[in-house]
Amino acid sequence: MSEIEIEIDGHLVKASQGDSIISIADREGIDVPRFCYHKKLSVAANCRMCLVDIEGVPKAQPACSTPAANGMKINTKNDKAKFAQKAVMEFLLINHPLDCPICDQGGECELQDVAMEYGSDVSKFNLGKRIVPDKGIGALIQTDMTRCIHCTRCVRFGAEVAGIVEMGGTGRGEGVKIEPFLTEGIQSELSGNMIDVCPVGALTSKPFRYEARTWQMNAVQSVARHDLVGSNIYTQSYRGKVKRVVARDNDSINETWISDRDRFSYEGLNHESRALKPKIKVDGEWQETDWQQALQFAVDGIKNNAINPDQLGVLASKHASLEEFYLMQKLARKFGSENIDFRLDQTQLSTGSSLESSINLSEIESVDHALIIGSYTRLEQPMINHRIRKATLDGASVNTMNSKNFDFNFKTKCDALTAPQKLLSALQSVLKAVHLKTNQDTPNDVSDVTPSEIHNIIADDLIASANGVIVLGEHLNSNPNSLAIINLIEKIASATNLKIANITISGNSHSAEKVNFIPSGNGLNAISMFNDNTKAFLLMDVDSEYDFIDSKSAQGHFSKEDVFVVALSSFENQSTLRSADVILPMASFYESSGTHINFDGLVQSYSASVKSPGESKPGWKIIKVMADLLDLQGLDYVDSTQVKEEALQSSKVKSSVDEANIQSIDDSQVTTHWQYAPYASDSVTRRAKALQESNVGMINRAYVSKMTAHKIGLSDDDLYLGVPVSIEESVAVDCVFIHTNQARRA
Amino acid sequence: MKKKLKKLVNDFSLGELRTGLKVTSKEFVNKKITVQFPEERTPISPRFRGLHALRRYPNGEERCIACKLCEAVCPANAITIDSEMREDGTRRTTQYDIDLFKCIFCGFCEEACPVDAIVETHIFDYAFESREGSIIDKKALLEIGDKNESAISKAKEEDSKYR
Repeated sequence: MSEIEIEIDGHLVKASQGDSIISIADREGIDVPRFCYHKKLSVAANCRMCLVDIEGVPKAQPACSTPAANGMKINTKNDKAKFAQKAVMEFLLINHPLDCPICDQGGECELQDVAMEYGSDVSKFNLGKRIVPDKGIGALIQTDMTRCIHCTRCVRFGAEVAGIVEMGGTGRGEGVKIEPFLTEGIQSELSGNMIDVCPVGALTSKPFRYEARTWQMNAVQSVARHDLVGSNIYTQSYRGKVKRVVARDNDSINETWISDRDRFSYEGLNHESRALKPKIKVDGEWQETDWQQALQFAVDGIKNNAINPDQLGVLASKHASLEEFYLMQKLARKFGSENIDFRLDQTQLSTGSSLESSINLSEIESVDHALIIGSYTRLEQPMINHRIRKATLDGASVNTMNSKNFDFNFKTKCDALTAPQKLLSALQSVLKAVHLKTNQDTPNDVSDVTPSEIHNIIADDLIASANGVIVLGEHLNSNPNSLAIINLIEKIASATNLKIANITISGNSHSAEKVNFIPSGNGLNAISMFNDNTKAFLLMDVDSEYDFIDSKSAQGHFSKEDVFVVALSSFENQSTLRSADVILPMASFYESSGTHINFDGLVQSYSASVKSPGESKPGWKIIKVMADLLDLQGLDYVDSTQVKEEALQSSKVKSSVDEANIQSIDDSQVTTHWQYAPYASDSVTRRAKALQESNVGMINRAYVSKMTAHKIGLSDDDLYLGVPVSIEESVAVDCVFIHTNQARRA
Repeated sequence: MKKKLKKLVNDFSLGELRTGLKVTSKEFVNKKITVQFPEERTPISPRFRGLHALRRYPNGEERCIACKLCEAVCPANAITIDSEMREDGTRRTTQYDIDLFKCIFCGFCEEACPVDAIVETHIFDYAFESREGSIIDKKALLEIGDKNESAISKAKEEDSKYR
């Protein structure tokens, strides 16, 4: 684009042809008032607040929709511009209620700020003000539509970013209303961003309603840990409690958006089931005690039960911080145990790192094709899905291979419905098709496969793609042949020169792999650990009811008489009380400093936003003291930065391609694909009340196709494994796809 | 010499006593300015800033909407407020404490209040029997308001023409 020179408020500024005046002014730090303009949304030019004076143009022009032209002389602050801006402000305030004192936006309101500068003291308007009745839009967003100034940012956000048009303007003139089209509430997983884009208090956070004023809170820069992206956030706390989480701009990670899971999960921190005091179980009775006794009890228990060092098992959830992973594995290895794992919800475990991606976040938005295998990316990794959606807006095509046709927020070209037990053979068929079409040598294991029509289409798209990506999703974890499938996908990717985005394990799993939080040598992994030999366990933030692929056997093992379990946990629930022998209360998200490594391998550290409640302590400190009490050397750290620096020195074990022995499965049998809903992903989110009450949070359905339902005798609203059945044609044959927030019962 | 003689005459003719008695006898008939406190009180300005009170609307609904502007403006950080959404959906306080030891009676809270909920009454003769007594809570503040509503509204009325 050609370069032009314009003059704004007397400054000569270089810009490129086509830039809007407001974007140039923003870059130059010149303040132009605006409501409808948002840098990440399309230009609507309907608030008219950004009117500026352009020399030679008789009327003031909106800066957001007027492209700069060479030699333009723009004045944003002269009498003509000010007069126009003040006149617009007067109109905007006609119907705006003056309820700032009870409005949660008060203090951070764009209308309030601009009115301070451009509003007049007294309104000339003396007729009745308009009142707009509120329609509820779900558990996350509170509406006060009387305050709405019709900037349509939320409408454009829904259409352009969330991809689901849920809000819209109805009526004309005085009667315009911004309202949801449907009554069941907002479905989007990014809906919370509407709160951020709303310039007034029309859309505010429902869980935060009337909790605190904006100026009272203490904002701390932090990083969200629920997914692989590590979205940048501010946690805002008031009197030692996190009251709100808002997005922090970072163009290479989360742009200006964050997912609802990152935004509203903080509510779980203040849940009544927080573990506040150390507890020990003596003769089957729980007793509250002090830290010294509890730690001594824990250490004695470990020493007495794990007589051989390899009788100790160490498990952590994928949401622990880099420091915690590092110290846990160091403690275990110094103790002499290699039984370390964080991959609790997988049926097959590789021996090396399993999270290799060959693409980074910002590249995803420029792919020309994506094949999504085993993932409902929209709910599972919202920010990665957002990048895929951006790619589709630029013309990329998307094919999927899932157990169910999910409700993506972009158009998919071809959906190959594949039951989990048939995924391996389906991928073999795709690989064969790729080989046939590109005249490559066919390896033995797929030589006798005849590709089906749909797999031919998928293969065609893969070959035609110059810059595509294959996305491996969470659903592969529960597949009995997951390792073979991942190997096969790697073969397909290398045969077609495509990149791989591996999002199979969420949370902070890149940190775990970085510090080798997986067994090496003869160590036992999360599946083989539950044998009779492992007598002592150290668990970090593990909920045995939810987190294991086979939660029954895990819970059964933990509750055995001769198995001693030390649980570092932020919460106490029935399953922890049943399985543990000591509960050491641990700081949760935002309560201790730590480090997150994201999809790109970017290391992001954060400090504690609030103090942890009760007597709970940061996880890394607890492990350090336990190591001291176990007489292990080399864990004498003073602060978490020291741990972090040492942890980052470690290098992860590269994946040795596991020659997976393929499980032969009778693929005519009906299989159950149990997939946790996104808001059941971790202990904090599961306790976030508003999230659980939202549409996505209430997902609890066993989907089954008509034919399969007939085969196993199910009808609508029956309970299958405790989950209500819904018969839909969008489910793969011979598969029951359970999407639920309940604990696994099978 | 002359000065000494003058003093001598004055002393012997009880001159100072006469001056004193003159003042006494003049004040004896003059109008008195002392009042019999606490039975009698001096008049005070409608803007007088004494003990705080929380007011109600005539229908009995408390005025305070928990906007926390008084808390924000208070230069002595004497006010502590906690808010919640009441069952009817309105914004209300669950806690409204004023520490009278911290308070400097500047009246900013009253000025900041958008609904005339927190006011400073004309009550100035109060005492605490314990240290904790210096913190008055929402219940006490509302009681003070209820008891003195007529005086408060009268003072507000008188002052309104100067605002």
